[in-house]
Amino acid sequence: MNDAQWLLPVGIEEALPEQAQRLEQLRRALLDLYASWGYELVVTPFIDYLDSLLTGTGHDLDLQTFKLTDQLSGRLLGIRADMTPQVARMDAHQLKRNAPTRLCYLGTVLHTRSDGFAGTRSPMQIGAELFGHAGAESDVEILRLLLLTLAAAGIESPYLDLGHVGIYRALAQQAKLTRAQEMTLFDVLQRKAAAELTALILDEWQLTSPIADMLLGLIELNGDDALERAELLFAPAQDAVQVALDNLRQVANQLHAWLPQVPVHFDLAELRGYTYKTGVVFAAFVPGWGLEIARGGRYDDIGKVFGHARPAVGFSSDLKGLMALANQPPPPPRTGILAPWRPDAALQIVIDQLRAAGQRVIHWLPGQVNEVAALGCHQQLIYRNGAWQLAELTCDQALHFFIE
Amino acid sequence: MSANATLTIALSKGRIFEQILPLLAAADIYPLDNPDTSRKLILPTNQADVNLLIVRASDVPTYVQYGAADVGVAGKDVLLEHGGVGLYEPLDLGIARCRLMVAGQPDALAAAHIGRLRVATKYVRSAERYFAARGQQVEIIKLYGSMELAPLVGLADLIVDLVESGNTLKANGLVPLELICHISSRVIVNKAAWKMKHNRVMDLINILRQTVSTDSFD
Repeated sequence: MNDAQWLLPVGIEEALPEQAQRLEQLRRALLDLYASWGYELVVTPFIDYLDSLLTGTGHDLDLQTFKLTDQLSGRLLGIRADMTPQVARMDAHQLKRNAPTRLCYLGTVLHTRSDGFAGTRSPMQIGAELFGHAGAESDVEILRLLLLTLAAAGIESPYLDLGHVGIYRALAQQAKLTRAQEMTLFDVLQRKAAAELTALILDEWQLTSPIADMLLGLIELNGDDALERAELLFAPAQDAVQVALDNLRQVANQLHAWLPQVPVHFDLAELRGYTYKTGVVFAAFVPGWGLEIARGGRYDDIGKVFGHARPAVGFSSDLKGLMALANQPPPPPRTGILAPWRPDAALQIVIDQLRAAGQRVIHWLPGQVNEVAALGCHQQLIYRNGAWQLAELTCDQALHFFIE
Repeated sequence: MSANATLTIALSKGRIFEQILPLLAAADIYPLDNPDTSRKLILPTNQADVNLLIVRASDVPTYVQYGAADVGVAGKDVLLEHGGVGLYEPLDLGIARCRLMVAGQPDALAAAHIGRLRVATKYVRSAERYFAARGQQVEIIKLYGSMELAPLVGLADLIVDLVESGNTLKANGLVPLELICHISSRVIVNKAAWKMKHNRVMDLINILRQTVSTDSFD
């Protein structure tokens, strides 16, 4: 038999019992946390019509989505690569509430290619979205939930980075850049390639002051004092830039009021999800991990295409990624009680009582090989003095009771 | 923050290493071992909290991307091949300069209209992008070295390779035909190091930037 056939595809993982147990514990803790904040769990389809999956996200997800043909309708289907648009569609198309709606979700998504990093093509996406409120308060609520999510995974002091896509969008508009130019410049900004930026703006496009200075300065606007420097730099900018800066400042100040111990940092040139985000964007980093561990932002326009324009803000992370970085103590050794297999009413009552009390009770099956360690039990039930009683278990004793 | 404590810089041996040493010296960083004589892959420096990693040139972006190194120095040729996801490239050091070029026998392009050209190269992605942008269908043949041989023995019509002086091409009867792009070495930084070791990284980049801009006036 060729062992290579049991290998998993690149970037696809399985979780063995111990790992699966830790994933499940974290999953429960997080969903309980979100429920306690009023976030309702939703389940989105794993597979969906492609045009619906790609709606509203600026086709960022197109290359990332696995596709296949529906034999029933002949239409193209996609396997979800991101649950956020599906959740937004639920809010706008199905729920149609006017009050703020809080939804959370968890599920495996598939990517055709890994992010070029961390390898996985099947992250377990977990996230929360708040629809129907446009103020800084909802941004702050989502940010607090993001930090609590990391804390629940044992990540205590992440680095929180805030930005705002409205600043670059308004500057690009003021500079009268074409769509292609806007995206070229965007790519240069994402790489912080300062020399290329200068060559592009001054030499190739021959932009002039003040807009050239503002675009050139944008790349430097990161670090703790970025907002103060931005105020000076963007004084000649159109109102939309000031509005975006004010919004960002409000979010930072309110977050500081709630969580004074959490340092907030800024990077105004960091524009992840630029094509469909509309406001504040944020990401959390941990030391020694090259990319962000959780990210999110505001995307107010997405509901429009689903028939109900609603402001929206949310975040998401990868449950498996969180697990890998979590500072969780190793799980305690398994405990359990070994019980013989026998049609004995008295024994069955004892077993039911133990299980109801939260104990793990495992039947010793007739003819079973004697590998007690694999069952992870520390006690056994034996019949002594006319009653079923608990006794400490060693390999020898198990054998004894088996023979008995 | 304790993460500020160390700074790991990934470099490749050879030309980049030789040319980066004087720049690092300006930042008061001197390796304590010579990588040509030492077998160590982690070189300690005079600064206890700065280490140099000596890796293959094409591996530098990978080390930095995964956070195994905070900062690296890599040629633009390597970055174009790698894709550069999650990397910042804030500074062009202007060292190890050369050109990425299409080369071949002098009449190679004249024959271009007959059928599909075969192109031998180590720089598969760059070559694909270049010919795709021109709408030209080519067959790319991946080689790891001695590209100049390919047109001579009929393995390929053209090659895509780095050209510094052009002497190797000339010695094999080939000529540079088209410029794809200019290449020089860049400082690359991963996002997490940029943010969490900001002062440390910025200090290094600022000194390097000053040094290269003064040098260019010499």
